[in-house]
Amino acid sequence: MLPKRIYQFVIIYLAALGGLQAIKLVFALSDYVIPSPADLWQTAEAVFSRYLGDALNTLAVAIVGHLLAIVLATVVAIIGRLTNWAGALIKVAAYNLQAYPIVAVAPIIFILLGDGLASRLLIAAMICYFPLLLSFIGIFAEPVVDIEHFYTMTGRMRWQLEVKIRAFENNAKLITVTAGSATLAMVGTIVAEFFGANAGIGYSLRIALYQSDLAKVLVALFLIGIFTSLYLALLERIGVWLQHKLVLPTGGTL
Amino acid sequence: MLIDCRNIRYRYPNAEAAVFADLSFCLRGPGFHALFGPSGVGKTTLARMIAGNGPRYEGRIETPGVARTLYSYNLERLPGWSCVGDHIAKVTPPSRRERMADLIGSFGLEGCIDARFSQLSLGQKNRANLTRYLVQDFDLLIMDESLANVDETTREKILLKIKGMFPDKGFLYISHNVSEVAKFCREVVVLRNTAKQPQAVSIAGLDLAPDQPLDKSRLERAMLEIVHAA
Repeated sequence: MLPKRIYQFVIIYLAALGGLQAIKLVFALSDYVIPSPADLWQTAEAVFSRYLGDALNTLAVAIVGHLLAIVLATVVAIIGRLTNWAGALIKVAAYNLQAYPIVAVAPIIFILLGDGLASRLLIAAMICYFPLLLSFIGIFAEPVVDIEHFYTMTGRMRWQLEVKIRAFENNAKLITVTAGSATLAMVGTIVAEFFGANAGIGYSLRIALYQSDLAKVLVALFLIGIFTSLYLALLERIGVWLQHKLVLPTGGTL
Repeated sequence: MLIDCRNIRYRYPNAEAAVFADLSFCLRGPGFHALFGPSGVGKTTLARMIAGNGPRYEGRIETPGVARTLYSYNLERLPGWSCVGDHIAKVTPPSRRERMADLIGSFGLEGCIDARFSQLSLGQKNRANLTRYLVQDFDLLIMDESLANVDETTREKILLKIKGMFPDKGFLYISHNVSEVAKFCREVVVLRNTAKQPQAVSIAGLDLAPDQPLDKSRLERAMLEIVHAA
């Protein structure tokens, strides 16, 4: 069964297509500006398999970039939760850096790393990294006093246990934030590809823009929406499974 | 001497009136003692100060002969990633496994050790929490309403069990139950608001031991004294 997110996206996509056709009709626009449904179908038939490969390529980069951002944000947030100078420095740096638009830094990345995989990966990771980091720091820096008290009192508290307690107690928040940032990873990858890369669906979008081919753009947008929804749905399922595993008892006589 | 508090002065941040003004009292010897008083009088704040993790205050708190003080309270939780039995076993030193099993049995926890903490009733939660403290190394254990939500019969059984099991340890029991503190505690420190001086009054309790008959008239007298002092 297809996830609910796919249905939601398809409905929105069809509504947008309907809206475009209505605009075309009202303002008497030509097929060149807004393609007819038949043109759209023809273009889809022609480019679908190529765009599918491009979208899968983009999704793969987005997933790897997202994973990189999660790992990095976790490590930095674990250090950032500290109440010493290192924690304070990381917090201040994170709050200041996240205010800077990553897209503005993208040219530097392309100049230094070229238009290959590394640049796409880095931009994708950076775009979803800061929102993740800020949420993770907030979660890991907030003590769960009622649980931590015993371990602190008895001298058993270790940083690993502290992180485990805080992550477990905030698992719903962590899962929501992680799933939410998946969209940003996808956006980051497409932006990077659109900006200067030589592969991916963002790159195909750039070519379609240069050709002023709205039909190609719409096909590309359809695939982007489908893959983003699929990735979100997958993350949400993992989240539900994780919460189920974490909260349900292992057994018992109650 | 177990606890010696001298001239404690403390005001909550942003509060106009002090919660402690020249508060002094002392508790002698090991055994079961109580801190009693109306809500908001500062029992928990004082308990945390004695345990060494309270706010900064003026005055002096000494616990001679007490190398390790533990403070437990009724809102504590065990982590939820594994069952209660596993958590208690994990924090129990190998040499105290027998004591752990004894306490689990006496506290009526056998039926819920395979459950997660969130599945327990409030009374079971408090009993499970207290169990893990009692298997630790301590000289003084502060029990801040640690038996709240536990029914009276089980509470009495638990208190007598603790008294029988740890005759050489010090306990400071915080409770709102006047008959309980009068019956089971050696000394009851009644904490009063700053308008009354002295702010703390010590009253002798019955210090009932397991299998010791209850002298009802003595109990009534002790209860009256406590209520009158409060």
